[in-house]
Amino acid sequence: MSRKRTEETHHGLLHLFLVLFTFLTLYPVFWVFTIAFSGKQSLALADLPENPSAWDLVRAVIPWPERWSLSNFTSVFADQPFLQWMANSAIIAIATTILGVFLAMTAAYAFSRFRFPGQKTGMMSFLVSQMFPGTLMLIPLYIIVVQWLGLGSTRAGLILVYGTTSIPFSVWMLKGYFDTIPKELEEAAVIEGASASRIFWSIIIPLARPALAITALFSFMTAWNEFILAATLMDKEDMYTAPVGLKFFVGGFSQQWGYFAAGSILVSIPVVALFLYLQKYLVSGLTAGSVKG
Amino acid sequence: MGRPSHRLRFAVGLALAGGLGVGVAHLLLKNEVQQASVAREERKGVVALQALADLVERAGRRGEGIRRAVSAWQGANPSVRLARVVAFEGISLEASTAPEDQGDKAAPRRLSRDEKSLYDLGQRLRTAVTTNREEGGARKEEIEISTTHAGALALAAPVTEDGAVVGIVTVETQPLAAPARPSLLYAILAWAGPLVLFVLLALLVGERRAWLAAVAVSCLALGFGAYAAHSLARVEQERIRSHEAVAEFALAQAGTVRAVLSDLGLAATPPLVPSAWDADAFRRPRGFLTESGKLDEARLRTNADAASGQALRALILAGVVALGLLLAIGLGGVHRVAAALVANRQAYYYVVPAMIGMIVLVFFPFIYGITLSFTDSNLYSVNQPITETWIGLRNYGDILGDVGIAQRAADGSLVFNYLNFYWTLLYTVVWTVTNVTAGVTVGLLLALILNTKGLAGKPIYRVLLIMPWAMPNYITALIWKGMFHRQYGVVNHVIRLFGGQGVSWFEKPFTSFLTALATNGWLSFPFMMVVSLGALQSIPGEIYEAARVDGASRWQQFRAITLPSLKPALVPAVILSVIWTFNMFNIPYLVTQGEPGSSTEILVTQSYKFAFERYRYGYAAAYSTIIFGILLVYGAIQNRVSKATEAI
Repeated sequence: MSRKRTEETHHGLLHLFLVLFTFLTLYPVFWVFTIAFSGKQSLALADLPENPSAWDLVRAVIPWPERWSLSNFTSVFADQPFLQWMANSAIIAIATTILGVFLAMTAAYAFSRFRFPGQKTGMMSFLVSQMFPGTLMLIPLYIIVVQWLGLGSTRAGLILVYGTTSIPFSVWMLKGYFDTIPKELEEAAVIEGASASRIFWSIIIPLARPALAITALFSFMTAWNEFILAATLMDKEDMYTAPVGLKFFVGGFSQQWGYFAAGSILVSIPVVALFLYLQKYLVSGLTAGSVKG
Repeated sequence: MGRPSHRLRFAVGLALAGGLGVGVAHLLLKNEVQQASVAREERKGVVALQALADLVERAGRRGEGIRRAVSAWQGANPSVRLARVVAFEGISLEASTAPEDQGDKAAPRRLSRDEKSLYDLGQRLRTAVTTNREEGGARKEEIEISTTHAGALALAAPVTEDGAVVGIVTVETQPLAAPARPSLLYAILAWAGPLVLFVLLALLVGERRAWLAAVAVSCLALGFGAYAAHSLARVEQERIRSHEAVAEFALAQAGTVRAVLSDLGLAATPPLVPSAWDADAFRRPRGFLTESGKLDEARLRTNADAASGQALRALILAGVVALGLLLAIGLGGVHRVAAALVANRQAYYYVVPAMIGMIVLVFFPFIYGITLSFTDSNLYSVNQPITETWIGLRNYGDILGDVGIAQRAADGSLVFNYLNFYWTLLYTVVWTVTNVTAGVTVGLLLALILNTKGLAGKPIYRVLLIMPWAMPNYITALIWKGMFHRQYGVVNHVIRLFGGQGVSWFEKPFTSFLTALATNGWLSFPFMMVVSLGALQSIPGEIYEAARVDGASRWQQFRAITLPSLKPALVPAVILSVIWTFNMFNIPYLVTQGEPGSSTEILVTQSYKFAFERYRYGYAAAYSTIIFGILLVYGAIQNRVSKATEAI
């Protein structure tokens, strides 16, 4: 009896800590919502009078709009080309995901199941490529994509770049997962007379769905969230992606925090939703990719 | 299948290597001959143009005399299709021999609206002349040359009066004849001859590999060397022929101009200088002709040496590649690679698509970037060939050799040089260590709490605590930047709420660092939490029960069971996290923006700013290469210490 009581108080303390910590963690999120629904462009949560009272001071940190308004959301679509930017981002991110995951899963399958010359070098080169500093790649990529391939300010250019740069991480992740799928399954299928491609598509891919989901999620998020490359390769305003557009609102001399906050919420919703929906695969996928005793 | 004989392999190798070497040499030759031909026509065009400009200036620049002079000059120049003279004063077409400009459109007349391009051309040339004169250099072209649709050259040069540009002359040549192609016969001979020779000798030598290799290499050297010598001689011949043709043409022009002038009753004073007509795009005489219009032999020789040096280097490179190919095939390297490719073709089918993408858009840019680091490429020279901007290791010397991280100010205090590499390195190390430590500590702590048995609402906490990871980090960065605003920021409001003074976060390196640390810590702990939680949940509860039965304390359980089970998940996570943090671009770039005075730049943001704010591409590439070196060393050490990647 007493043991149960102590455990409950113990849990009570934990809950207190967790609630406080969660509130602090989510504070920036509340802050964005407050700014977005305030209908103003200011980054202050409340206007402070000349000689603020104690309540004014408290009011200034409470993430709750003084007046609710949807005007930031309506004008971000009506007055700004934000819808076009979101569409660009969506097309690019989805195409990147398809391209990246397809390339990565075939390569990862070969690395996991076949023994061939160059296998170790290949895996190692993928790992090393993860360490290439982005700034070193930026100038050459600009020259290749814009000047040689003529894909500046096109979605195809960004898709190609995002799709390939996401390969190494995806390959490592998927290979780790493929390694855990027992070989006996394939051996049985071989005895039944299945071809290698048949085995790949009908046995390996269905079994690897959780890892594929994680990989797709990462590819999508990388493409959806990427900023520097998009800013470098996309010169025309109607080809901006959402991140480049958002930076526009609060970069340089413009201080349109209201548009920024409203846009941020709209941009974050798809990735956050995807992330939360797929997060059950997150642990299994990540640990399968990295834990190999 | 039996092993193919050495003889056959060397013969195939020689055929391919010879084909490659001689083929490349032939292409180089063809290219050179074509270029020489085009260059010759351009030089002749410029000579004609300059002669005409000279004539126009001597004949008074406008008026009836000009029209007579131009048509007389045109009559003596069958290679020129039309010539025009435009005077800026009154925007008038002073003279024209173009078929379009006859009848009611005949000169003199005002330029019409659709001839605006002609006027613009004149303004361009005028600007170029004044700019070059003011700068005392040659940056803007004073003679414009373009190719028309019909394959003719269109040229334009300024007409000057007392140094000021008062008009232009333009000339369009007849369509150029297709340049001569070097004969393929010699190339075929240089390829087939050695091959036949090798086959004959191979019959004598038999299946002795070393001997065959020696014979094949000699045959290749013979064929390729002969063809290389032939093409060098051919190029040289072409070059001399060009100079002679230009010299002859210049003399002929001088004769024409003199004749036209005397027709107009003008004396050729000061005397004509045909050598000055052979000029480059900045109207500087090329100097291959002496004053009298003869070829300047000494000048030709130095120029020929420089030009053939380049051609020779290209040929040597082609020869080395061909030799490599011959040996690779002959000694069986290619055969083995091909055998491996065939034996493992299934594996390669699966790998090739990804590999091609990686090579074109990851590995090649990487190598190209490293190459850039040996140049002083900048905004103005980025399109020049690498050989022009090559400076060797100087960028590295500048970056690593500058140890002036701080100096004493007059009042004895230390003044840091925030642009110094070692300051940024130190800051980056501090940044990485503090961030990863913070991330691991908070993440692990939360994971342990959430892993408590029977804790209610666990999934809700988990979902909410993952939010910082789920949000795009550039948005996070901009949010925190706003929250740390000196006047309106929430953080300062909280400080004021507790009676403090607002802090100017971005005015001191330390407080500025804190803002970036808070932002990055906020978005990086959920990753550690999720990884730790996953590992914790995979520990079977029975182990703890067994430990409890054995009388192990909580701390002992944590040390003996929890930590070891966490290790396989946490070690790779920490390795990843170190690299992510070290390379984290958005947070420093968007939150602190390096304020104050670049003190809070980490290595990657600093190198970005060198490239895209100071436009020193070569320097920035060297900077990035050093960053890569650091990461590589880190990876090697980490690999050795933890053996984390042993299960490849």
